[in-house]
Amino acid sequence: MVQWYHSIITKLTVAFVILILVIAGLSVLYTFGATKSALKETTQDELVALASVIATQIDGDILAALQPGDEVTPEFITMRDQLYAMQTSSPEILYLYTMKQTSDGIVFVVDAEYGISEDSAGIGDVYDTPTEEMKMGFQIPVAEHEYTTDQWGTVISGYAPVKNATGEVTGIVGVDMSATRVIERQDFIGNIIYLIMLIGIGITAIIIGVISKTMIRDIRSLNDSAEKISTGDMNVLVTVERNDEIGELAGSFSRMVSSLKIMMMDDSP
Amino acid sequence: MSDISEKVLAITIQVLGPASRRFLERQTKFHLDGLEFDDLKKEHIPELAKWVGISAQLVVDEKKASQLAEKIKNIS
Repeated sequence: MVQWYHSIITKLTVAFVILILVIAGLSVLYTFGATKSALKETTQDELVALASVIATQIDGDILAALQPGDEVTPEFITMRDQLYAMQTSSPEILYLYTMKQTSDGIVFVVDAEYGISEDSAGIGDVYDTPTEEMKMGFQIPVAEHEYTTDQWGTVISGYAPVKNATGEVTGIVGVDMSATRVIERQDFIGNIIYLIMLIGIGITAIIIGVISKTMIRDIRSLNDSAEKISTGDMNVLVTVERNDEIGELAGSFSRMVSSLKIMMMDDSP
Repeated sequence: MSDISEKVLAITIQVLGPASRRFLERQTKFHLDGLEFDDLKKEHIPELAKWVGISAQLVVDEKKASQLAEKIKNIS
């Protein structure tokens, strides 16, 4: 009896599972990478669209006029409430704020959570690490290419210019989306792809196992017949019928056995 | 060897292998009144097919034996 680890079933199944693993692995790598990029691009497009729409709702003249200490003015409070209402109306938005350029650099003007959240920014608070995309936001609607991590967490941001009555850019509106949400989406898709791959490998292994088993059954049957003949037992019938190479082997073997039997009949007294 | 003998032999070899001629000679000798296999004629076919179907069961399974008999029977 052949050991299981030398069996053709084991060898065939392992070989095919490895083959499927390699093919599926490469496909998953490519698909997951492409899906991640597509998801990020979709998020970036959403951010740009959101920032652009919100920017049209903000009064650029008021934004330009607000100075440190104006946090109690009706103009500030109105704009903050307006931004806060927009922020809370969309579950996608984590932070919503306006900024402008001063001699100190890029500074916050109105933070939607000013007075609501402790870590919100006040007018004139300098943003220490402005990105190229943030600077570009003063010209055109744009989204960050990569996730950014600052004191408010890891986010992906979109910016759009805010204009005054004469069409001049007086600041930008920034929309932050939590990276966690995007990463969760990516992980979900990744898990689905892995699950499909595992199911595919499982089904393939079962199919290969079943096919191998029928092949082995017939080979074993032929082997048993050969064993019997080799020990002088001619009471053997080859009943294997297949249309493949094993069937051809069985046919040849059957003819050989039949001829042996005929010759032995002639020789018998 | 007659045409019929050649056809019967060709069909039988596919099932019973190289000893087919010896097998067929036995069938004609014992069941067709001592007829030489090489002298086989068309009119002998039905009787030969019948005995091949019976005797071949000693060396192959019933299904193969009856299929062989049927093929011989259909020789024209």
